[in-house]
Amino acid sequence: MDIIIIGFGAIGKGVAKVLHEKREYLKKNYEEFKVVAITDSSGAAIDEDGLDLLKAIEVKEKTGKIKNYPEKGKEISSIDVIRNVKADVVVEVTPSNLETGEPAKTHILESFRSKKHVVTANKGPLALCYKELIEEAKRYNVIFRHEASVGGAMPIINLAKETLAGNEILSIRGILNGTTNYILTKMEKEGLDFETALKEAKELGIAETDPTQDIEGLDTAAKIVILANSIMGMNKTIKDVKVKGISRITPEALFLANKRGYTIKLIGQIKDKHLIVEPMLVPIDSPLNVKGTLNVAMFETDLAKEIVVVGRGAGPIETASAILSDLIHIYNSMKK
Amino acid sequence: MFGGKMITIDIELKDKPGELLKILTPISRHGANVISIIHSREEKRGGKVPVRIVIDVDDKEKLKKILEDLEKEGAIIKKIDGKDKKVYLDVVVIGHVVDTDVRDTIDRINEIGLVEDLDLIMPHPDKESSAMMRIIVDEDKIEELFYLFEELEKEKGLLFIKSIF
Repeated sequence: MDIIIIGFGAIGKGVAKVLHEKREYLKKNYEEFKVVAITDSSGAAIDEDGLDLLKAIEVKEKTGKIKNYPEKGKEISSIDVIRNVKADVVVEVTPSNLETGEPAKTHILESFRSKKHVVTANKGPLALCYKELIEEAKRYNVIFRHEASVGGAMPIINLAKETLAGNEILSIRGILNGTTNYILTKMEKEGLDFETALKEAKELGIAETDPTQDIEGLDTAAKIVILANSIMGMNKTIKDVKVKGISRITPEALFLANKRGYTIKLIGQIKDKHLIVEPMLVPIDSPLNVKGTLNVAMFETDLAKEIVVVGRGAGPIETASAILSDLIHIYNSMKK
Repeated sequence: MFGGKMITIDIELKDKPGELLKILTPISRHGANVISIIHSREEKRGGKVPVRIVIDVDDKEKLKKILEDLEKEGAIIKKIDGKDKKVYLDVVVIGHVVDTDVRDTIDRINEIGLVEDLDLIMPHPDKESSAMMRIIVDEDKIEELFYLFEELEKEKGLLFIKSIF
């Protein structure tokens, strides 16, 4: 199977690393998963016989630009690579933009048009124009998978759609952002105020330099929109979500909550067609009370009743795990 | 209302053999007497049968335990003594809770439910304080209460953190 990786930041490199580490396993159980092109904003490295992934990572880390890949690197746009390089699947892992969804949206649509399947971790286009993407994928008869867009390594979309097939999903609630969960856990454990806990999270690289999307709940909002659309068949966008963040949570509030047997978590939920992101009191003994950067999701279904998944919600290798499972799914579908 | 009192509990049960027996066990286990049972199979709705049980129970704690156990056995409790089942809602409020007329806040909540308990921490006059409230409310008034919270949030710059249930 021939793969193009669009975007070579932390996630793109994670995918390359995992495909390299798993190359023998993939060859033995499926076939060779060959990366024929990698792009970033500088250009691309293209080799129909398959790129040397370790070299690609090294070039990117040393020079910051994939176009410096020896001999096969050049200045070319991602769009042109998608259009002109022969491949089965495009892995779209450019940074998420929750306002326009670009450039990922164009990359995905262009991939469909050139008859390539798409795997993405990108929340932007999914949270803004899910329906359009699904319809276009159908129109061009290609597969579109995005397990990595919600909950990182944690199986959630495919779990609900495939493993729990036949169940009606009545509600979903969970912690879908590791940064806020880390901050709240830290505040609770050490009695820190929000600013101090945030500062610490930044120093540890858990929070981004601009953590607004995480702490104001927008990242969680985008994820529950994706879940509502892909699992519960709704047609929502991020504008339909009522959002409150965690920046006003005080250590005293956590103390009072603890005294009554609760903790405070930023919960995203879909219930009775309403999409809400807000800090909530969660009973200490609830399965939703997961600590640190962990994510958790609880489905309420008609047959299986409650199902809970816990896992790592971020990280390049963890996200690549979800992307790899989507790639294998596509491989299996192609062989049928 | 307590001290050996008859309480009417309206519940719904699955229409399956043995369901009625299952719910009688916890009642006797907690030492309450069953005075009467009306099992209205002809009023079955959506596979559930309404059942009215009148019990004699001597204290509030026992009744609470019985109700909890009935739910564990799969019964849906609809009404207690003809009144909709009350729920406890714990809420943390963050903001200038006192300075924004805490009396008014409580009065307005009490129009819908009842603030049973209030625990407040004011770290510093300039800083936002945090309060924990327990509110007793009829289950069907929860939406109305949430709407009031939103109103108070806008009006007084407060933040209400509700419990999950």
